[in-house]
Formats: sequence, structure tokens, C-alpha cells
Amino acid sequence: MSPVYMGLIAIAPIAAGAVVAALAMRQISVSAIDGMTRQPEIAPQLFTAMLIGMALIEALCIYTLVVTLVMAGKVVL
Amino acid sequence: MMVSAEGAVDFTKYIVVANTAVVGAVLVVAGRSLARGALTSDVPDARQNFGEFILDFFVNKARDMSHGLDRAKVMRWVAPVLGSLFLFIFVSNLFGMLPIPKLNQPPTSYYSVTLALALCSVGATLTLGLIFKGAKGAIKHLFWPNPMQWISEITDVLSLSLRLFGNIGGEYMTLTLVLLYAPLGIPLVLHALGLIPAFVQALVFTLLTASFMASAIHKEEKKPKKAGSRRWKLFGAKQERDEAAPEAGRLEEVPSAPAGSPA
Repeated sequence: MSPVYMGLIAIAPIAAGAVVAALAMRQISVSAIDGMTRQPEIAPQLFTAMLIGMALIEALCIYTLVVTLVMAGKVVL
Repeated sequence: MMVSAEGAVDFTKYIVVANTAVVGAVLVVAGRSLARGALTSDVPDARQNFGEFILDFFVNKARDMSHGLDRAKVMRWVAPVLGSLFLFIFVSNLFGMLPIPKLNQPPTSYYSVTLALALCSVGATLTLGLIFKGAKGAIKHLFWPNPMQWISEITDVLSLSLRLFGNIGGEYMTLTLVLLYAPLGIPLVLHALGLIPAFVQALVFTLLTASFMASAIHKEEKKPKKAGSRRWKLFGAKQERDEAAPEAGRLEEVPSAPAGSPA
């Protein structure tokens, strides 16, 4: 297989991971902003919970980034 | 990477050690200068006020997780761990903003550093469980209620370290690549955007460590046994939910009622 195709296959996981993580984060931020506008007095707690949820989702995206880096390293070297 | 083609030793990998030492030196100097002089319980001056403003968050966090336990002991053990983790990670992340060539590689953009930090965090969690619950309780926390509970400690290390490394290291890589092609102007925007993950990742690392610790130092609450089997208890919980649901529905309907009625 030509190196171009191998490179494309290697960077495919991060594209898929970023799309799915973006959708999930959109859901979290929409819900958190809804809650904050309804009840501004608990906004700090909602913000903390939002950050933790986002971090947990982002971890999955980071895993795909690591896999991508490993695969891209194998293709290039 | 270790030895280049000419046979000369490459010192790239020592930059991380040097930068970590610089971060530690900065923190020690800043902490010493903040805690220098007399501290008062009366109206504090600006220096003491700033220090208390930084420490306030972690002390409150430790106080929040201390219900049902010796509060002073929890705060004395937990607050310094959280504070030093946050400050070290935050200052390390901010090193990427410095305009000095070798010094602007943040130590947290190396996997070794983040792995060490995550190991410290999980090790501190296990140690706190040992201190507050005793050896038996700490071992039970690893195998109960799920016998494979101990795997979560390993995945905690992986997720904490990989998250921090991916964010900061990825940003550093992006910045390096952009600097090759657009050295003027555009890196400024990336630096400004990089301030957000620099703060958020330090906060997230600290908050996750705090929640791991909170679950590690608390004994399982013994619920009063009700008459009837577990199935009845589940059924009862479901019933309570169902009874609460119409209440929420009524609350939702209240705002819409005046809008529909002719006033």
C-alpha cells in the first residue's frame, strides 16, 4: 500500500474520535448552560460538574490521539 | 533520540528534568515569599490575602469531603496534596507561554512527568484510604463490591496521565508546527487559547483526584435494614421516584398557565 493511504488510515481514528467527542461535549455544554440560566445561584457547581464530565469525555478523545500518534509514528518510520 | 547519528549525546531529554526543577524552584520561592513575615487572624494584608485566596479552594474542597469524619484530620491530610498538585501542574502548563527557547517546553508535555503525577495522585489516594480506613478497609475498597475494583486504580493512572499529556503535549506540538510555517502573529492567538486548557486541565486533575480521595476515605454507609427482600427495596425506590415525578410536572406547568389564559 502506498504511504499516502497508510497515513490516511493512521490518522482516521483521531478524526472519528474528535467528531464523537465534539457531539458529546455539545450535549454537556448545552445542558449545563440550560441549568445555569434556570438557576444562576448553583452555576459554580454546575460548572465544576460540566468540567469533570467534559474531561472524562475528552479522555476518550485523547486515547484516540495516542493511538493515532503511535500508528503515524509507525507509518513515518 | 538519545544518541544522534554523529554519536554525540543529545540533551533533549534532560530539558524535562531541568524544567521540572525550575518549576519547583519557582513554586518554592513564591511560597516562601508569600508565607514570609507575620500572619494575622485580623484584617490580612495583600500578601496574606492572596495566599489565602489560592489556598481557600483546596481547603473548602477538603472540608466538603470530610462529612462523617474527623474534619481537622481530613483537611490536614488532603488540602496540601490537592494544592501542590494544582499549583505544580498549573505553573508547568504556563511555562509553555514563556518566550525563552528551551524553557518554554512545559514539563507536563512529557509523558514521564504526567505519569509520575498520576502515580503520585493514585498513590496518595490509596495511602489516604489506608490512613482513614485501616488496612482492612483499604483492601476491601479494592475488592468490594466488585472483585475487579482494583483495575480502576490502574485505569485512573492511565486516564489522568494521558489526559494531561494529550492536552498540553498536543498543544505544544501544534504550536511547534505552526511556528515553522507562521512565526508571526498567529502563535499569539494560539498562546491565548492555550491559557484555557492550562487552567482547566490543572483544575480537572485536581478535582478528579479529590473525588477519588473522597470515595477512598469514606467507609461504606451501613443502611438500616428494612423488612423485606432486596427486590422490595428496589420496588420501593421506584415507587418514590414515580411519586416525585408528578410534582416536577406540576412545577413545569406553572409558567405556561398564565401565558395560555386570557389576562
